[in-house]
Amino acid sequence: MIWFIMIAAGLFTFAARFIMLSNGISNRPPPWLVDALGFVPITVLTAIIVPAILLDPVGQTIALWDNPRLFAAALAIIAALVTRQMITTIGVGIVALWVLQWAM
Amino acid sequence: MPKAQNSPKASQNLSAGSEFWTGVREEMPLIFGVAPFGLVFGVLGLESGLTSWQTILMSSILFGGASQIVFAQLWAAGVPALIVGGSVCVINTRHVLYSASMAAYLRHLPLRWRILLGYLLTDEAYAISIRRFQQEPPGPNQHFHLLGSGMLLWTSWQFSTIFGVLVGGTIPDSWSLSFAIPLTFIAIVAPILKTRADLAAATTAGTIAILGQPLPWNLWLITAAIGGILTGWLINRLNHQAGATS
Repeated sequence: MIWFIMIAAGLFTFAARFIMLSNGISNRPPPWLVDALGFVPITVLTAIIVPAILLDPVGQTIALWDNPRLFAAALAIIAALVTRQMITTIGVGIVALWVLQWAM
Repeated sequence: MPKAQNSPKASQNLSAGSEFWTGVREEMPLIFGVAPFGLVFGVLGLESGLTSWQTILMSSILFGGASQIVFAQLWAAGVPALIVGGSVCVINTRHVLYSASMAAYLRHLPLRWRILLGYLLTDEAYAISIRRFQQEPPGPNQHFHLLGSGMLLWTSWQFSTIFGVLVGGTIPDSWSLSFAIPLTFIAIVAPILKTRADLAAATTAGTIAILGQPLPWNLWLITAAIGGILTGWLINRLNHQAGATS
């Protein structure tokens, strides 16, 4: 079953990448669709980020002030905005988490 | 292209090899971001209960980082297969945009070229090669630029996944390596939040992602994505109307 889903999703993904290069479709996608698809990366990734930071992995409750992941993520956001480098952002966030887990 | 008009290089006959290696070289800085991401996926794939082969081959079959992470996480949570597949598809529809934007430069190529370059058309290869197509003088071998950027990205992604699968079991839990996933996504999202519509879309998606946790089958993810897209889209639409009437 997992292979079936993986291959079906893979074919869909390839189709999304190939469709406008095929000769069958000559029109560009309508502007409203272009507009909507432009928000996909921001919304999907934010929807993964927020629970991964706010929810306590054990209790599945929202953790704020006693949550080292929240403060580590805040530092990582600053690093991302300042350096715009993935490796630096990951490095700052992970090291901050280690230090905070040790200190809190 | 007013800049190119008076330039002696209005069109340039660079060799296929020269275009290819330029693509490889210009893609290189992005590998510093892609390699840790692939490594994290390799580790996470095993943690989610996928086999080594499933994890490694997913990097070729889907070849899209965020969608692979979502696949592994939803699969680990025991979500029905149809929802896993549907979520992956929603995440990857954005590639239609890249395809549309590349069409003008690639459509004259033979089918086998378009299939190969379509397969290689990821966020990172697109970002690098569209710059060459739009800003540099056109050339008969310019598609080799995308072949170069795409193949470097593909190779790095496969090797970093394999490396993650190989070392994954040896990394202790106390290193909190799974935290690298939200960090990777923060590195992608934070710099591209520019307009008020972007911020509203992200805020909506994040809020629904938390409030929607009780939804069955991890539907919070897809609900959050659709809610965020609608919010951003509506705000853009209202801004355009306000701009048109004032």
